[in-house]
Amino acid sequence: MLSDMSTVVTLAVFAPIVGAAIVGGFGRWLGNIPSQAITTGLLFVACALSWFTFIQHTWGGMEDFTVTVLPFINIGTFHSAWSIRIDALSSTMLIVVTSVSSLVHLYSWGYMSEDPSRPRFFAYLSLFTFAMLMLVTAADFMQLFFGWEGVGLASYLLIGFWFQKESASSAAIKAFVVNRVGDFGFALGIMTVYWQFGTINFHELFPMIAAHQGQTWEFLGQSFSALDLAAFLLFIGAMGKSAQFFLHTWLPDAMEGPTPVSALIHAATMVTAGVYMVCLLSPLFEYAPVAKMIVAYIGAITAIFAASIGFTQNDIKRVIAYSTCSQLGYMFFAAGVGAYQAAMFHLFTHAFFKALLFLGAGSVIHGMHHEQDMRKMGGLWKYLPITYGVMTIGTIAITGLGIPETQFGFAGFFSKDAIIESAWAAHNTPQGMFAFCMGIAAALLTSFYSWRLIAMTFHGKKHWEHNEAHGHDHHHEVIDGHDASEPAHDDHGHDDHHGHGHDHKPHESPWVMLVPICLLAVGAVFAGVGFAPYFIGEHAQEFWGHAIFTGPTNHIMHEAHEIEEMWVKLAPLAVTLLGMLLAWYYYIARPNLPKQMAAKDGPVYNFLYHKWYFDEVYQATFVKLTKILGDFFWKVLDIKIIDNLGPNGAAWTALKSAKNLVKTQTGYVYHYAFAMFLGVVGLLTYVFWLVH
Amino acid sequence: MRLLKAPDMRPVFNSEGLGDLMNAFLLQYLPVIIFIGVATVLGLGFMIGALVIAPKAPDTEKLSAYECGFNAFDSARQKFDVRFYLVSILFIIFDLEASFLFPWAVSLFDMPNGGMHVAFWSMVTFLVELGLGYIYVWKKGALEWE
Amino acid sequence: MDFNLALHLGLPETILAVSSLLILVFGAFRGDKGMISVSALCGVALIAAAFAAAFGHQGAAFGGSFIVDGVALFAKVAIYIAAVFIIVLGQGYFDRVGAGRFELPILILLAALGMSLMVSAGDLISLYVGLELQSLALYVLAAFRRDDAKSSEAGLKYFVLGALSSGLLLYGASLVYGFAGSMNFHDIAQSATTNLNVGLIFGLVFVICGLAFKVSAAPFHMWTPDVYEGAPTPIVAFFAGAPKFAAMVLFARVLQTGFAAQADQWRQVVLVLAVLSFVIGALGGLMQKDIKRLLAYSSIANMGYALLAIAAGAVGIPALLIFFVLYMVDTLGLFTVQMALSRKGEPVTRIDSLAGLSKTNMPMTIVLTILCLSVLGMPPFSGFWAKYFVFGAAITSGLWQFAAAGLVASVVAAFYYLRILKLMWFDVPAGDMDKSPLETRWIAYAAAAFSFPVVIVFLVYVYPLAQSAAQGFGS
Repeated sequence: MLSDMSTVVTLAVFAPIVGAAIVGGFGRWLGNIPSQAITTGLLFVACALSWFTFIQHTWGGMEDFTVTVLPFINIGTFHSAWSIRIDALSSTMLIVVTSVSSLVHLYSWGYMSEDPSRPRFFAYLSLFTFAMLMLVTAADFMQLFFGWEGVGLASYLLIGFWFQKESASSAAIKAFVVNRVGDFGFALGIMTVYWQFGTINFHELFPMIAAHQGQTWEFLGQSFSALDLAAFLLFIGAMGKSAQFFLHTWLPDAMEGPTPVSALIHAATMVTAGVYMVCLLSPLFEYAPVAKMIVAYIGAITAIFAASIGFTQNDIKRVIAYSTCSQLGYMFFAAGVGAYQAAMFHLFTHAFFKALLFLGAGSVIHGMHHEQDMRKMGGLWKYLPITYGVMTIGTIAITGLGIPETQFGFAGFFSKDAIIESAWAAHNTPQGMFAFCMGIAAALLTSFYSWRLIAMTFHGKKHWEHNEAHGHDHHHEVIDGHDASEPAHDDHGHDDHHGHGHDHKPHESPWVMLVPICLLAVGAVFAGVGFAPYFIGEHAQEFWGHAIFTGPTNHIMHEAHEIEEMWVKLAPLAVTLLGMLLAWYYYIARPNLPKQMAAKDGPVYNFLYHKWYFDEVYQATFVKLTKILGDFFWKVLDIKIIDNLGPNGAAWTALKSAKNLVKTQTGYVYHYAFAMFLGVVGLLTYVFWLVH
Repeated sequence: MRLLKAPDMRPVFNSEGLGDLMNAFLLQYLPVIIFIGVATVLGLGFMIGALVIAPKAPDTEKLSAYECGFNAFDSARQKFDVRFYLVSILFIIFDLEASFLFPWAVSLFDMPNGGMHVAFWSMVTFLVELGLGYIYVWKKGALEWE
Repeated sequence: MDFNLALHLGLPETILAVSSLLILVFGAFRGDKGMISVSALCGVALIAAAFAAAFGHQGAAFGGSFIVDGVALFAKVAIYIAAVFIIVLGQGYFDRVGAGRFELPILILLAALGMSLMVSAGDLISLYVGLELQSLALYVLAAFRRDDAKSSEAGLKYFVLGALSSGLLLYGASLVYGFAGSMNFHDIAQSATTNLNVGLIFGLVFVICGLAFKVSAAPFHMWTPDVYEGAPTPIVAFFAGAPKFAAMVLFARVLQTGFAAQADQWRQVVLVLAVLSFVIGALGGLMQKDIKRLLAYSSIANMGYALLAIAAGAVGIPALLIFFVLYMVDTLGLFTVQMALSRKGEPVTRIDSLAGLSKTNMPMTIVLTILCLSVLGMPPFSGFWAKYFVFGAAITSGLWQFAAAGLVASVVAAFYYLRILKLMWFDVPAGDMDKSPLETRWIAYAAAAFSFPVVIVFLVYVYPLAQSAAQGFGS
């Protein structure tokens, strides 16, 4: 049984890389359709195997196990192996990753149908999936780091997929560089762990942690708790990857990538790697109270901060990106207060509805001919009815609508309420109280901006009609002269815009795109009610097994169930409905109000519109300083000092001495004879000096 | 006349009384010094003598180059035909190599029996080589003036 | 002394001497028309001598003046084979330029005889006789195109400076004789051990200077670029290889037999020469525009490495032997490529003219690429192994600083080889090349093939041979 399961999980993990290798290497010869078929087919295989594994693990009574595939590094006491660790955490992640990935693969058949380099796109997608699977099945830090960097690479490649666009390639670089900051912390964290415990293998490491409690490390006259230090450094890595406050700036820009990429990488899977890591390392974080507190604060701040920006943005994908950022904040503060199960549950449900929202947004963008500005949309519900329907489901799911104390609710209702309740359960600690308040506030904002998105996109005036005429004017300027004879149909437009107008009307997406969205919509509706008992409910204990460790004093999950204050349970629903109402008021009932507010250009609006001026501040401080430092290293240290004294200087000296040497080669015999004479005298003198 | 032999110096440095032996060694070269001294004195003596004693009445005829009674009709530094050099070089080669014959002839019969054979055939070989060289020179026409 | 044994030991030399005389007379009767048959005869004589050497006995004859040991036999075989190749190349080359004379192969034969005596020299007299026999033949060979101004100039310069160096050597030899009281290296060694004085050391320095000229070690290298540029290319290919090998073996023998106990003193001198050689060789080549001048500097640098092997002492001897064989093949190949390339009948002499060779003559480009990579010391080509053994020997004897300096110099020198590669592969051709003559083509291919991969097989078999040959050298 176990060896069969080893084969199953090995196939599941390695199927995507096989597809990526075949299509990445030979895609050009294979052609578009075979390339797509190979990668997508293998992904569905991986997906099926993953579900099989998950089902076996959850209901089939399968034990946790680890498959060692190959040795990786063996130096002294430092050992690492390529392995596949299967437990509740990783099997959950397996299904999340492979399900969303296979649906995104399928969706991309339609979304990318006009792109000239589809094989490359699909190869990257599969490569990403493989790296993500390596990450979630890692049995030691080295493989975790490998997967971590692998997904970073794939993310970089996919954000910059349309590298012809300058904005896309700079966004890719930004994502890469910001992630370097996090990864640096992560690497330091791994080193700290190795230095502390002498191993990086999770199985060996976790049982040792309790014994190391209270160990300190002296640095600059300060003494730090070694466990807190390690956990904090590792959390910096998580912050970078999961776009938490301070290191979040790359995520909105990452929307430059194709929308399926945003759905897969920057919503459902990669960005949740940080949350996954914190939950995986729960044995460490449980003994690192300071680091845990930092996690909670950062998570809570991110939740409210990202949500506050979300409701001023006009790019449909950016709104969802900030929403993702905010939801990740929820997960982190849940982990920070000790409710790892709730964090993982929200990760799980979020994957469905956020992928759904992104793919729906992609469908809108596709139908709008790559228009992403919501101000230029409106009234689309009639043209994209299915998209409208599933987007609404997604929005209900993310805002967490449901009836408290019952089993009626969308996915987000179960997970988000669990998080907010856990925060309340920890309200006797400052970070718990803070997280609870921020969670409630963010829920209000989430509801507001999510419904705002629906309202601006699908309801109200059809702004695109007007705009499109403009677009056409511009587009056909060149041929104006030739068509001047034809009668104009309206003031604005030129002759042929009506002819093209039919083609350019928003249209519903093809079924190949709608089917994945609909499947995700099913997930968004039922993932919560279906899995709540296992993730956070009565079966949680046996479901998680040893995968998540809760310290002896951590009773958060228990307490969260025992909450007596009714208002705590009702508060999320109340603010959600309030947000919904506000969105209705501002964007459907009184659609001119927001415009007037924007036109007033108030400081609060500007502050939010400019994303708390993070980019500007970073530009003025880190980027500028780094550039100055870089310029110094490059122009002064490298060119002036190293190059001039080193290679260039040596080359110059060699050339100069060669020139002088050649000058002695006069061609006159007596000069040569003289040189020989000097040589003899010189050697004799040298020997004479040696002998004496 | 006693031929000068290269002295064996190793025992000299190893034994005592080094100064005396060194003098003995240098004494062997005394005739050479005397010879150089005599040559110098004689040479200088004649020149100075002529300079002091001889009457001097120079005129153009007396100062011009003597060409067997003819007037000089060309520069004395004209080019010679390369064949002069060729012949002279060939002469020197054969002359020098013939000079090997003298010590050989003198010492051949003083040699021990085995050595004498070797010495004899060595010289024969040498002469054969010389002969072959001569044939080569002849065939190449180096000896023909025209 | 057993005269029969002496004849036995001297069989290769006897073959060369007798056949050279006979072939000379034969040639004199046949005239220049018979050059091809003279070449063939000389080649046969050399091959016969090579066989005699390869299967020859070891020992000493003529009262220790003539030493036949493993090193001598190894060197002789290498020298004879090199001479055969030169005769083949020379035959074709002089035929084409219309300056063919039947003396050419005979002079090469005599030079080979001289070198043969050099490597077997056991005392100062045979040293000098061998050296002069070799040198006189080479002087004539350098000026062999006597209607060509450059060739004559090369011959004259070589002769005048060579005479000067002979003078130095003789002066040194007479000092050594005067202070040691013997011509024989072993006796000199004894005398030097029991009583060493400055006069003896000075004599040694003079001898070293004279020999340094023959191997063109700096600062006695000045003649090399000029002579290489002017002399006919096959002759230069000869100059660059065999005579230097012979002189280097002689160098090693004088120092390690005659002055074994004074290693500390002469090692310093040799190291000075070595460092100067590879520094000047590396730097001098940077500015060169003429292929042959460039190769001259390359050979100066390589002599620096060879001197490093000598400075390493006994462990350096196998390295020296292997180094020279590999170096000779590379050099032969490089000069052959130069001979193989011509444009509208004009030989290609400037480095610039190699531009775009890959577009006009692919086989030669590949050959030249392999040879350039080899001489710059790129593994797995033969030049790498040559340097590997030499530097290895130097490091074994604790001369790692000098090995490091040699490496730096070879990095500098890599520039000029890489420039050739860049020119050939990436630049625009200056015009079509003529078809290469047959023998140059095949010798070039063979040299490249030797450079890699044959060298690997070669080393497997010959390195143990060189090691056993070097056993007992100098004792």
